[in-house]
Amino acid sequence: MAIQLSHCSSSSTTFSSLHHETSYFSKWVTEIHFRRQLRNHFELKSANGYPLNAVPMQDGSVAKPLEEEVPFPEFGETNSMLSITVVGASGDLAKKKIFPALFALYYEDWLPENFVVYGYARTKMTDEELRNMISKTLTCRIDSRENCQAKMEEFLKRCFYHSGQYNSPEDFLELNCKLKEREGGKLSNRLFYLSIPPNIFVDVVRCASTKASSATGWTRVIVEKPFGRDSDSSRELTKCLMQYLTEDQIFRIDHYLGKELVENLSVLRFSNLVFEPLWSRNYIRNVQFIFSEDFGTEGRGGYFDNYGIIRDIMQNHLLQILALFAMETPVSLDAEDIRNEKVKVLKSMKPLQLEDVIVGQYKGHSKGGKSYPGYIDDPTVPKDSVTPTFAAAALFINNARWDGVPFLMKAGKALHTKRAEIRVQFRHVPGNLYKRNFGTDLDKATNELVLRLQPDEAIYLKINNKVPGLGMRLDRSDLNLLYRTRYTREIPDAYERLLLDAIEGERRLFIRSDELHAAWTLFTPVLKEMEEKKIMPELYPYGSRGPVGAHYLAAKHDVRWGDLTGED
Amino acid sequence: MATISSSTRCCSSSLAYSNSSYIGFHHHQKNVPFSLVSPNRIGSKRVSLQSKSNPYSNVIIMQDGAVGTTAATVEKKAPLKKLKDGLSSDTSPEEHKEPIEVGVNSDKSTVSITVVGASGDLAKKKIFPALFALYYEDCLPEHFTIFGYSRSKMTDAELRNMVSRTLTCRIDKRENCGEKMEQFLKRCFYQSGQYDSQENFMELDKTLKEHEAGRVSNRLFYLSIPPNIFVDAVRCASLSASASNGWTRVIVEKPFGRDSESSAALTRALKQYLEEDQIFRIDHYLGKELVENLSVLRFSNLIFEPLWSRQYIRNVQLIFSEDFGTEGRGGYFDHYGIIRDIMQNHLLQILALFAMETPVSLDAEDIRNEKVKVLRSMKPLRIDDVVVGQYKSHTKGGVIYPGYTDDKTVLKDSLTPTFAAAALFIHNARWDGVPFLMKAGKALHNRRTEIRVQFRHVPGNLYNRNFGTDLDQATNELVIRVQPDEAIYLKINNKVPGLGMRLDRSNLNLLYKARYSKEIPDAYERLLLDAIEGERRLFIRSDELDAAWSLFTPVLKELEEKRTIPEYYPYGSRGPVGSHYLAARNNVKWGDLGVDE
Repeated sequence: MAIQLSHCSSSSTTFSSLHHETSYFSKWVTEIHFRRQLRNHFELKSANGYPLNAVPMQDGSVAKPLEEEVPFPEFGETNSMLSITVVGASGDLAKKKIFPALFALYYEDWLPENFVVYGYARTKMTDEELRNMISKTLTCRIDSRENCQAKMEEFLKRCFYHSGQYNSPEDFLELNCKLKEREGGKLSNRLFYLSIPPNIFVDVVRCASTKASSATGWTRVIVEKPFGRDSDSSRELTKCLMQYLTEDQIFRIDHYLGKELVENLSVLRFSNLVFEPLWSRNYIRNVQFIFSEDFGTEGRGGYFDNYGIIRDIMQNHLLQILALFAMETPVSLDAEDIRNEKVKVLKSMKPLQLEDVIVGQYKGHSKGGKSYPGYIDDPTVPKDSVTPTFAAAALFINNARWDGVPFLMKAGKALHTKRAEIRVQFRHVPGNLYKRNFGTDLDKATNELVLRLQPDEAIYLKINNKVPGLGMRLDRSDLNLLYRTRYTREIPDAYERLLLDAIEGERRLFIRSDELHAAWTLFTPVLKEMEEKKIMPELYPYGSRGPVGAHYLAAKHDVRWGDLTGED
Repeated sequence: MATISSSTRCCSSSLAYSNSSYIGFHHHQKNVPFSLVSPNRIGSKRVSLQSKSNPYSNVIIMQDGAVGTTAATVEKKAPLKKLKDGLSSDTSPEEHKEPIEVGVNSDKSTVSITVVGASGDLAKKKIFPALFALYYEDCLPEHFTIFGYSRSKMTDAELRNMVSRTLTCRIDKRENCGEKMEQFLKRCFYQSGQYDSQENFMELDKTLKEHEAGRVSNRLFYLSIPPNIFVDAVRCASLSASASNGWTRVIVEKPFGRDSESSAALTRALKQYLEEDQIFRIDHYLGKELVENLSVLRFSNLIFEPLWSRQYIRNVQLIFSEDFGTEGRGGYFDHYGIIRDIMQNHLLQILALFAMETPVSLDAEDIRNEKVKVLRSMKPLRIDDVVVGQYKSHTKGGVIYPGYTDDKTVLKDSLTPTFAAAALFIHNARWDGVPFLMKAGKALHNRRTEIRVQFRHVPGNLYNRNFGTDLDQATNELVIRVQPDEAIYLKINNKVPGLGMRLDRSNLNLLYKARYSKEIPDAYERLLLDAIEGERRLFIRSDELDAAWSLFTPVLKELEEKRTIPEYYPYGSRGPVGSHYLAARNNVKWGDLGVDE
């Protein structure tokens, strides 16, 4: 049934089949029929916000028409119950992201009618204490909305706490009993969110799987990075997880894949005629994936020091975006089709050479009388740490579409800005009639497409344009789409999307084992070599634009970083 | 180096001043006493060259929109290339001189601009203000005089008074405007005379000579007069008032005939007295900023050219609409109709620029060669591919808007179209089968001119089911809005932010108003300046004109012979329904009447 459900997240409404049975959504009643039809038929909205066409089309997908008749054993009816257990409920991620995301989903009516949220951790806590803890962080996103307080009360009533050890089957058995009680004989679906350190992943999975799996519905487990720290450890972890779970029960989250503009990347490519013809080595000169943070580890470098920026950002977030960017057109938008294409990209990648990677580490810096600590000034970091807090790499995809096109990645902490973006630099215009208007540096006259993932989501295309006036001066202007001005609606947090997808069994945005494996295969040799050779990172001041080495790396491949031109 | 002087565009501000001395200054210092050279002159003349040949160094820092004004640093490394070297081929001897001499000669040469028909409407509203704007921006040569010529008796002072009243319209809020205006008016003179009198033009010649005071004389005649006296005025001006040692050029405005024969006759008559390169047929739409930018967009951006063909473009729409009627001045219009007034010239010119192959260079002749090729490749226009309309009166909110035939200057039984739509096709490898739709009308619901490029469907679109049944709504569209409120935007499909997967069309936008703080010059300024500089790119060559008439004449004849009744549409409406049927027959939807506009 997961197949049918896999489309729910993609429509403007889901679970509409639930609604007709309840008075809970009474104000929606008139819309139910309409919404049900739309569930699998995405709407195209016009720029003024009115649906251009609300008529469901007779699409070719065979499974869809059946869907209205087939009951949903999982949670299509009121006699099913979803329980979400946040393992590691007292942790930071749980408090800051998971509970708020669950509340936002609840507030927006995305959760099924019957659900409970369980916090599980070693700390002793009552239900009341958990609710109190949660309520403090819920305010962060949607507290100024209508009825927020009432909704929050209702949500908190469905939150419970269970204290236990992560490696104790008995404690999980107790959890199982409590869950059963809540489920009250309904068909049960269980989602475990593992918000815990990696060394206890397997213990928890073992306990949860053997003692607290759902007897009647599905059981799914969301795991967060790190998924190992190299090919071997990752494979080991996967092997262990697979002892207790099947592939389709494992939801490896990469929250960058839940970001709005990453989701939009495929839409841009595949639903616009103007982009796809350009999407190859014929027109694209290079692609840049840029991640920067404007703060350091700030006293919490313990975990980071064991991983470093390449494992923390590049091997997962940036590489995932690269794969989405570069993949061939999938057969369909189904999770397996998309992930098949992504794996193909990863497997086509040229092995990464040490000389195509540069690493850096931030050092202390004083500015305006304020001094910013260096990485090794962090008390949780060893004084002699050579862990990179910055890295840049040049990658290549050895396939027909991308041969010879450098894919540059750059990720760093304690830099001058906070942003994540994809920059696509196009080639020169062959035989450009306006060449002489550009001076000597033709690089500045090429087109560039920028997708800014955060902050302040935007898409813009730099084009050459005549400066109005009597002369013939050209400059680069932007064809612009700033989300803030175009879409007044709040953009949901990546965790909301991913949690909802996991609940719905939509696996598109989760990492499959073979993808993970391919990603590690690419980075492991370089990581090993760097660690064996104890490569010294280039030091850069806190708040700077990062080490100069990144420019040399780019220059070696005939690339200029698009984010450091002074234009943006 | 002739091209340097001819390609100079003073108007792009003072940003390149330092560099401007770099070209000409050494020479001056070597060859002439410094005092002879007005720094301002050098600045004004050369500046633009700099900014043209070396725009990029400025460009990078201009993302904020403060175009040109803040950019004081010009990198010298940029080569001082001429912009349009082709100019050299047809510029006058004076312009061919080496830069040394150009500087010196500019002291010795003068341009006289004679506006023939000075008391007319166009002269008052457009020509004099444009000349003043050019003067204000230091675009005119140091020595110039402006002569008004018409039949009315008037003194110089009266002309100045008349001119000063309309000058205010564009740049009156600027610095020193009053002072500049005084200076400008001092250079304006008036000469009264008949349009067909050689003696009167001889007198003009005498007065011009006085003002030229022995300098090399270049003369520009702007014929702002009814077409029936074009030839007389040209004859007299050419025979009796041509420059003896510089160039003589004549700017003529539409109508250039009313069909192939009359146009050919007019051209023949003009050619009795003028060479092809002396005739500057103005089409002021070609002087519009975004029409100028069309070639820049196409040829300097990698992302557009690959898409510019039948393979990706489904149709192209050229749309002109005015929100007012003839308003008591329909006499001239009634004789021509909207097809001749707008389509055969303005829209067709834009079409040719849009559809032409890449020219060998940006030289006037290269571009016009390509445009002629497009026009000659066009499939003959059939009457089934044309829809005509005429506005009728309409009452709205208590206000009565008159119909076309209510205009007192229009015949009561006039069938002259005030609206027309046409589907044209270009029979070449690039455009075969792509409909080029034109639409032009008066008394419609809005005022605008735009080019809309609708792209094809995405083949095998993965997101097809997100678009409902009407896949047309999901195609990309590039819109170039020529007026008002210049803009370029590209409609793309985008995911609506949120947890679902809803798509909508958003715009990738470039609104000129928001991006460029600078005022956009009027089309007439550009065209006058081009004529002074001998830049012919934006003027219509005789063979272009012939080709344009060959396309429209048969249909126009047929419409008139059959006395085709136009479809009536209410004043202020969206025009006759017939245009939708015409579009539908060609599998097109007008982009300007869609829901998201």
